[in-house]
Amino acid sequence: MKKFTFKGGIHPLHDRHEGKAATSGKPVRPFVSDTVCIPMDMHLGAPSKPCVKKGEHVLLGQVIGEPVGGLGLPVHASVSGTVLEVRRKQNLSAGLSECVIIQNDFNDEWTELHGMGNVETAPAEKIIDAIRDAGICGMGGACFPTFAKLRIPQGQTVDTILVNGSECETFLTADHRLMLESPLRIVDGLRAAMRATGVKHGVICIEDNKMDAVETMRKAAHGREGVEVAVLRTKYPQGGEKQLIKAVTGREVPSGGLPMHAHVVVLNVGTCAAIADAIIDGKPLISRITTVTGCVREPANLLLRIGTVFLDAIGECGGYSEEPGKIFVGGSMCGVCAPDDTVAMGKGQNGIVVLNQKEATPPPETQCIRCGRCVQACAIGLNPYRLMNLCQTGDLATAEKEHVLDCILCGSCSYVCPARRWMTASFKNAKELIMAARRAKK
Amino acid sequence: MKLSLSSGPHLHAKENTQRAMLDVLIALLPATAAGLYFFGWKAAMVVAVSVVSCVFFEALWCALGHKRSTVSDLSAAVTGLLLGLNLPATAPWWMPVIGGLFAIIVIKQLFGGIGSNFLNPALAARAALLSSWPAHMTTFMLPQRTLLVHTAEVADAATAATPLATGGASYIDLFLGNVPGCIGEVCKAALLIGFLYLLIRRVIGWQIPVIFVATAAALSWALGDDPLQTVLTGGLLLGAIFMATDYATSPMLFVGECIYAFGCGVIVVVIRKFGNYPEGCSYAILLMNIVTPLIDKYCKRRVYGEVKKNA
Amino acid sequence: MPNEQKKPTLRGVFMNGILNENPVFRLVLGTCPTIAVTTSAINGVGMGAAATFVLIGSNVVISALRKIIPDKVRIPCFVLVICTFVTIVQMLLQAFVPSLYASLGLFIPLIVVNCIILARAEAFASKNGVIASAADGLGMGVGFTLALLLIGGVRELLGSGTIFGISVFGEAFEPMLLLVLAPGGFICFGLLLGIINAIVDKRRARKDGKGGVKA
Repeated sequence: MKKFTFKGGIHPLHDRHEGKAATSGKPVRPFVSDTVCIPMDMHLGAPSKPCVKKGEHVLLGQVIGEPVGGLGLPVHASVSGTVLEVRRKQNLSAGLSECVIIQNDFNDEWTELHGMGNVETAPAEKIIDAIRDAGICGMGGACFPTFAKLRIPQGQTVDTILVNGSECETFLTADHRLMLESPLRIVDGLRAAMRATGVKHGVICIEDNKMDAVETMRKAAHGREGVEVAVLRTKYPQGGEKQLIKAVTGREVPSGGLPMHAHVVVLNVGTCAAIADAIIDGKPLISRITTVTGCVREPANLLLRIGTVFLDAIGECGGYSEEPGKIFVGGSMCGVCAPDDTVAMGKGQNGIVVLNQKEATPPPETQCIRCGRCVQACAIGLNPYRLMNLCQTGDLATAEKEHVLDCILCGSCSYVCPARRWMTASFKNAKELIMAARRAKK
Repeated sequence: MKLSLSSGPHLHAKENTQRAMLDVLIALLPATAAGLYFFGWKAAMVVAVSVVSCVFFEALWCALGHKRSTVSDLSAAVTGLLLGLNLPATAPWWMPVIGGLFAIIVIKQLFGGIGSNFLNPALAARAALLSSWPAHMTTFMLPQRTLLVHTAEVADAATAATPLATGGASYIDLFLGNVPGCIGEVCKAALLIGFLYLLIRRVIGWQIPVIFVATAAALSWALGDDPLQTVLTGGLLLGAIFMATDYATSPMLFVGECIYAFGCGVIVVVIRKFGNYPEGCSYAILLMNIVTPLIDKYCKRRVYGEVKKNA
Repeated sequence: MPNEQKKPTLRGVFMNGILNENPVFRLVLGTCPTIAVTTSAINGVGMGAAATFVLIGSNVVISALRKIIPDKVRIPCFVLVICTFVTIVQMLLQAFVPSLYASLGLFIPLIVVNCIILARAEAFASKNGVIASAADGLGMGVGFTLALLLIGGVRELLGSGTIFGISVFGEAFEPMLLLVLAPGGFICFGLLLGIINAIVDKRRARKDGKGGVKA
């Protein structure tokens, strides 16, 4: 069997099965909390504008936030019940964000839905609008509005849609469980996206540490037009868009470009499942599968309503097993830290991982020994040790020439560094400074 | 509840600098043991003084500069052990001390400490000692094979030139180390065990030692010498496995490492065959150390998405 | 010194060359003879004396002629003056100390292109009076000599075990040959350069610190 891969990359936490063993065998369990706190800035693009008031009764799936701007998305109530409050609150994003807090009445009374029944017969021109109205954004973590990805600009051609089921990050098993439990929804979602964009070729990409999912997806894809399953070597960051495209199609996204420039659109498996729900039943995106693991008593894969507060989700998993030292969303490689456990789930959060105090204490940084492991680990072919020196001495102009902007911040270099240099962090900082300077110039 | 915030990665690989250095120390143990077996207490003294003085100078430097002590990363101990193994057992006690001072202070710390040195500290110290006291550095003791006996007179009387200069030891003696030479270089079997350990622990790659030795063997064969003799004599294996692979002074990527190792192999044979010195291994590695930044500059990985942008 | 606004005294000019603007350790000029001839203290002193003689002579003559020399051809003129003095010193050495002349060899004629001498001609003698230029030449020359003596002394002491040819440590001492070889010259020069700069910087920082408190 041909297995696709890319150059560079690492095997994080391989000694503990990438932290996935705790949850990979656990079926998805739905969980609905008493209250939900739905942030308005869950997607990339301008935050939505709340359109409900305190005390108002809302139905499941009702629009509570209206889209703002070209990349705006609507936000839907993820429970039926009463709006307790609309206020600004600290969430995962930097700064405060507008949130609608709803008291659940546990009736799960749906608002009026307009499904199109079958993805193969649904009118292709209506699919993208339906995806937009369902509030779907990239569920692998980046939260880029999906409709915008599928709306191919004039002059660009796309010939392949890749469905990213590689889940190369540590700890996460949400996509794995989704592929095992709802393979048909993923294929349906992919078909809908293919029909909407007129693309004839769809590939579902899965790493070879999930061969059961490969089998399931193969069965589900059998007989569907233009859909196939590709097996990838297990390696981090295989699921990065650029690495995935290189591995499967052999093409490279030009520096500073989008996947579209390599004639490819990449969708997460979760996004595909959400598209299927939106097209078939007309259901908006109100829940997602999230892996809750680490220092919790019973790690699990939960089907969580959007807006579930972390503390509730962790409570559903038996609470903390040790004094928590760090909570992050996503895997350990590029997960985003939560300031506390009262923040709420957004649409892109595929995992909540709790580290204990000891794991959370950063190892002391020592002097670079020039071992070259970072250079070998870089999935982009950069020279991290040199870039780090440039960034830390403030020579951003040279760093830019050495392609620091192409860094995907995957964290591989910092992970393998025997001197524990904070390379990824300094690249992130440098990228932000360079982009800010560019914006200022404009 | 206090949660820490940072950007990823939140967990790290287990390997750290200290562990890598510890692995090198472990890998050097067989060669050290063989050296002690063949050359007795004199060798033990040289190695011990060398390690202690390197660690002492490292600690002294950190203390004088009011820096956090870097002794615990074990790099000074590795330098000390390598330096000791690169000296003949008959070396007087002050030679490893001066060598340690030179290696740690002049070569390593003055250039910025671990990772910033442009020469392998142990080798540079060996070169300095060799040019300062050539007589001491090229007088070797015959193997004693006993650990405890022997007065100084007996040991001093039993000195001889290395087989590199005279030739004529059997292959099996050369391989097992039953020949005169520096403490660590004689027993090729022990060095190979260390190499195997480093490979299994993934501390170093196979390419530098293998290409280094292969180039040297091939070139000496082409010049009409016995390639096996070339490989088994002198410090070639010690240099190829433990010195040429020093992280700070060898190139980073595969292609660069190949060029570097090839250069080392060529220079060794050229020095041995045409130069004034019987042994050229340390100078070969030092010369290629100097070329390393240049190799690194030109042997880069292609950056993803770069070519298409230019096209 | 940049912070000295008023005209420096003769003593100031002289002392300047010895420490603050020591040609070898502070200005890092004339490193070629510095490394090449300092294998022994006597060589260092000989080279230093020769250079001092040329420095004073050329500084005085150039200073005296500074109004006559056309600006555009000043460097050839300076070199001509310096050449004259070098030739004199070469002949004197050859006549009176042939052994020193033999060991310094090529480096005596090379004084002509020694940066220190040309630099002082350009930077000082062509802008100042005869007396001040003589003081500057003497100060720079003595500074150069002292530096060469220091480097040569250290290298001779450790590299040959002697100082001015007299054995210091006795028979048991085994000299470190490296120091009388070229790499030893570089290493020794580098280390002394670092140490002296550290001392001077520390002194200056202390002086500035005190001044700051007073003000």
